[in-house]
Amino acid sequence: MRGARTRSVSLARWLTAALVAAGALTVVFPFVWIALTSLKTPPEIQRVPLQLAPDHWGNLENYREVFRRAPFSRFLLNSALLATVSAVSSLVVSALAGYGFAKFRFPGHSVFFFAIIGILMVPFQSVVVPLYLWVSRLGLLDTYLGILAPDLVSVFGVFLMRQAIEVVPDDYIAAARIDGCGEWGIFWRVVLPAVTPALATLAIIKFMWTWNEFFWPLVVVNSPSMKTVTMGLIGFTNMYFIEYNLVTAAAVVSVLPILLIFVILQKWVVQAAVMTGLKG
Amino acid sequence: MERWTRLAFPRTYMDRQRRAGFLFVLPAVAYFACVYFVPLVESLIGSFYRTLPGGASRFMGFGLYERVFTDPVFWNSVRNTIKLLALSVPSTVALALAVALGLDRLTLRWRSLWAAMYFVPFAVSLVAAALIWQWLYEPVYGVLNHALVLVGLPPQKWLQSLNQVLPSLAAINVWVRLGFDTMIFLAALQAIPGEYYEAAALDGASARQRLWHVTLPLLNPQIVMVCILELIFNFKIFDQVYATTQGGPAGASQTIIPLLYDTAFKYFRLGEASVMAVFVFVVLLVVTLLQWRIFRRPVDY
Repeated sequence: MRGARTRSVSLARWLTAALVAAGALTVVFPFVWIALTSLKTPPEIQRVPLQLAPDHWGNLENYREVFRRAPFSRFLLNSALLATVSAVSSLVVSALAGYGFAKFRFPGHSVFFFAIIGILMVPFQSVVVPLYLWVSRLGLLDTYLGILAPDLVSVFGVFLMRQAIEVVPDDYIAAARIDGCGEWGIFWRVVLPAVTPALATLAIIKFMWTWNEFFWPLVVVNSPSMKTVTMGLIGFTNMYFIEYNLVTAAAVVSVLPILLIFVILQKWVVQAAVMTGLKG
Repeated sequence: MERWTRLAFPRTYMDRQRRAGFLFVLPAVAYFACVYFVPLVESLIGSFYRTLPGGASRFMGFGLYERVFTDPVFWNSVRNTIKLLALSVPSTVALALAVALGLDRLTLRWRSLWAAMYFVPFAVSLVAAALIWQWLYEPVYGVLNHALVLVGLPPQKWLQSLNQVLPSLAAINVWVRLGFDTMIFLAALQAIPGEYYEAAALDGASARQRLWHVTLPLLNPQIVMVCILELIFNFKIFDQVYATTQGGPAGASQTIIPLLYDTAFKYFRLGEASVMAVFVFVVLLVVTLLQWRIFRRPVDY
């Protein structure tokens, strides 16, 4: 009796594990599939019956064609630059504000804080038209600054840094103050070193968000040299005829940097994403 | 008033402290005022004006609201958005819950491996995700139709079919969001103290009873939160539609944000676009406030 029960329990356990694994492989399959497609020639893609593996594993012609047909390395450079700047600016401004909100009391303290948190309720699309008009009036259309304008700081960053700095012991700060350290010095030498994990989390997630951004760059960018990776990727599609060997190669190029970051810093990325709740 | 003058001209040590705090938050406050608060007010004002050729604008009262809210194209996009929500939100949440429950039963090493795999689609851009799926959906050479034919089913038109385009887009959204929702559920599951289950087992509760009477009620806050997040995510769908169908075929996948984009940046009817912007803002505001109402209510067992 007892033996039968354990057997059925361990059977259920195995079945669960098998289902979970099958689901995970299904989720990952589309990535494997575009990677395989990107190594095939157009005739191979159209072959019936369908063939899984490419004829030549070393066929990188599609990748060469992607870089020939569009300034894709420029797109990669643009995205890397924009994502880095947005990560850094977000770190600086969010850490300053997080410190101010966590450790000081001043007139307007809670009004400002809740106003900023309230922005999480404002969808970006609700402000995009006036923002576009401002960027255009300031002559920033088609410039890096114009693309970055709404991405320099995120509400999530301010919130995250306030939470992180809140738990830095007040004694550390008081001790530094007694030692004659100025407010600025305390911020750089006491507060920031104490919250490095939160800073890293914010930098990673912000980099990924800006790299994957599409809506706003689409609004403000005109010239090919200012396009981002997501825009370059969409340049390989059109309504009538899509060369999937090239689209898949471009897609692989566009997701590879993010996947690398993800694989290396997996734990932090997941943690950061779960903490964000939603993109803001 | 005096508080503010003392902020500018500190007299005491405490005044200087207050000023320091104020200066620390000032860059963020100024930034968000410029990028969100001012434009939001401008959107609201802009929804009452029609921009005339040449840049002048004319006050329309609620004229543009009337025009947008009587436009069948607008209501078609609202209908499509709601259909998409109805298709994708429940399936994402149910699947994520199932996956999280499955993962929770595995040993740590396997759990983190499979969990990471579920999470991968969340890390890539929505444009890439949409194009990857457009290739899977390809009617002639796509792998999905090959698979259907292999098991003796007729090939489908997926994104090019009037009836299948919304379910097909919904499937992309499920794929993108599944891992994220799973992580939220998994974190919550692992926070449930083991004693709860031991107590339930002592009372003779079966595995199913434990799931219904212990696990799910304890997960209730996360389930509500994930539902709201998915609602917002699907409501704001843009990249996926723009990258694949552009609202087609025949408007069958035209949703609200792509319509807003076209109105503003293709036809330059900024007033009407502002009306839609206000509409989107109000809808999401109501959804979020509802979420707070639900969260503030303490959970009883």
